Amino acid sequence: MSATVEGRCPFGFGGDSDSTSVMTPSQNLGTQAMAPAALPATESAARVPYPVADWVDPAALISDPYPTYERLRREAPVAWVPALKKFLVTSYAGCHAVELDQEIFSANVSGATMNRALGAQPMLRKDDPDHAADRAAINPVLRPKNIKEAWAPVFERNARMYLDVLEEKGPGQADLNRDYAAPVASQNLIDLLGLKDVRVEQMRRWSHDFIAGAGNVLDDQAIWDRCEASRAELDAILDELIPFYQQHPNASMTSALANSGLPFDNVAANVKLTISGGMNEPQHMVTNIVWALSRHTEQLDKVLHDDALWPAVFDETVRWLSPIGMYPRETTQETTLGGVRLPAGAGIGVVVASANRDVDHFGPTAGEFDIFRPKTSHLAFGSGVHLCAGHWAAKTSIGQIAVPLAYQRFPGLRTDETRPETWDGWVFRGITSLPVTWN
Amino acid sequence: MAKISFHHSDGNVDVLDVDPGTSLMRAAVTNGVDGIVGECGGQAMCATCHVYVRPEYLDALPEIGEDEEEMLECTAGPRDETRSRLGCQITVGDGLEQIEVDVPDDQI
Ligand code: HEM
Ligand code: HEM
Ligand code: FES
Repeated sequence: MSATVEGRCPFGFGGDSDSTSVMTPSQNLGTQAMAPAALPATESAARVPYPVADWVDPAALISDPYPTYERLRREAPVAWVPALKKFLVTSYAGCHAVELDQEIFSANVSGATMNRALGAQPMLRKDDPDHAADRAAINPVLRPKNIKEAWAPVFERNARMYLDVLEEKGPGQADLNRDYAAPVASQNLIDLLGLKDVRVEQMRRWSHDFIAGAGNVLDDQAIWDRCEASRAELDAILDELIPFYQQHPNASMTSALANSGLPFDNVAANVKLTISGGMNEPQHMVTNIVWALSRHTEQLDKVLHDDALWPAVFDETVRWLSPIGMYPRETTQETTLGGVRLPAGAGIGVVVASANRDVDHFGPTAGEFDIFRPKTSHLAFGSGVHLCAGHWAAKTSIGQIAVPLAYQRFPGLRTDETRPETWDGWVFRGITSLPVTWN
Repeated sequence: MAKISFHHSDGNVDVLDVDPGTSLMRAAVTNGVDGIVGECGGQAMCATCHVYVRPEYLDALPEIGEDEEEMLECTAGPRDETRSRLGCQITVGDGLEQIEVDVPDDQI
């Protein structure tokens, strides 16, 4: 099989050149194996039994994915996208159906390199019952009560520390991403994980190295070396921390994992998973919220007069600008989704950022930012057994603490239109530079 | 088969016949019962499967576990001291061949 792996974990796992994670349709089925169902009326599309969206352009997705999502929802909410070698599911109903059935839509996305990269599979790439054993270890740490009692004071201390940094930069120089969102998210996670003595820069480097490893399709040895060096650094720290927490348990995730009876490799893999998955998204939420409120000042005014609205601000922002745009699944057998036949072993992209703007679920105003919209469930944290383990932590640390405190400290906080901002990505989408100013 | 009735505040009732061992949340979600979200897939992590159990069935239920107790403090609809439960923590069959619950107006 040709080694054409476009889909790979941006967090650095799976994705070197021998991993063949996605079978192309021609490898799975004879052409015309099934009656063409709902097909675009083009010559080439007529040969495969499912809609093909050959117009989807990865570069357009990276600069602004929402127009592509809208067209996919309208024309083919379950479609084979040749440029990504995946079926993209872009409707709310389709994404939700995938999440309900982990037997058919497995999170155990193939790619043997994953084990090489981590030493073990983390929970995100397992299905129940194996998944549940890992997940049960950290759930108690991440339920709302422990977050509120043990961690909210720590999140507040971290936020205040970096508000000082922002203040030093001043309203003409401050970059909300660089000076606040990034270090706050990183320090929060260091504390929540219980990685004593790890510095913010070190966390960031680890996560960068993992991501670089992910993009390592060309098998660049230097990238592997960095990735492995970072893993070794972290493993060395865990070698000491795990026995320490077995003697001195506390409210951190590593302590919970260390005392769960799971083997070392398993504990380590899940700590790495959390380092990769628990930092960028909260960071992006800080900047996304300020960006959204700067463009909806009448809503901002209401929030500033009513603290009870902050949870709605978080929920609406994570829906409207979802930091994780897509995550992967793989079919374990032939199946039908939204009227489209999918072969066994098909790579599926669950495009939650698109589902989160589906008018069939959110009504005609789905594309607008409105913190007063009727409460409706969204998929920004996924759903089902892989529902983000850190969702309460993120809502608290960012939605209730980091962002409200920033508005409290800097009256008139807003994006600074005189300096350029930058956005990047679609699988993970966020602001990479956000100049802000205040009165 | 066991029988579950979901009563909605508008008077509608969804009655489901399900296999023993099925949780109220799973039954509702697979059958598209309105008002039960079940976001976390049954891990007692989201509290979006909140139900009010009708009093005549309360005695047949298992004790409220520690995790469930904690999450019942986070329901979107008001908690009822005796009748509130998480739908994902209650399975039918094995002494609970039938149950009726009221669905709260808010889950998120
Ligand atoms: C450290 C543990 C992790 C491992 C071992 C892992 C493994 C993988 C693998 C093997 C793939 C390739 C799937 C394919 O064939 O397309 C993948 C893709 C992906 N993973 Fe991870 N992953 C990890 C952490 C995470 C985390 C924490 C997230 C986000 C919360 C995440 C999100 C994704 C996404 C969005 C893709 C799809 C990328 C694309 O197709 O372009 N991963 N992962
Ligand atoms: C706004 C911030 C966040 C967003 C939008 C987000 C989003 C997500 C999504 C969409 C998934 C599911 C991926 C899949 O099913 O393939 C996920 C899983 C996960 N997230 Fe988050 N996340 C956020 C913050 C966090 C934080 C702060 C932590 C750490 C405490 C965290 C830890 C995890 C873990 C461990 C998983 C894997 C859960 C499992 O497989 O059962 N996340 N996240
Ligand atoms: S389904 Fe999440 S708590 Fe019951």
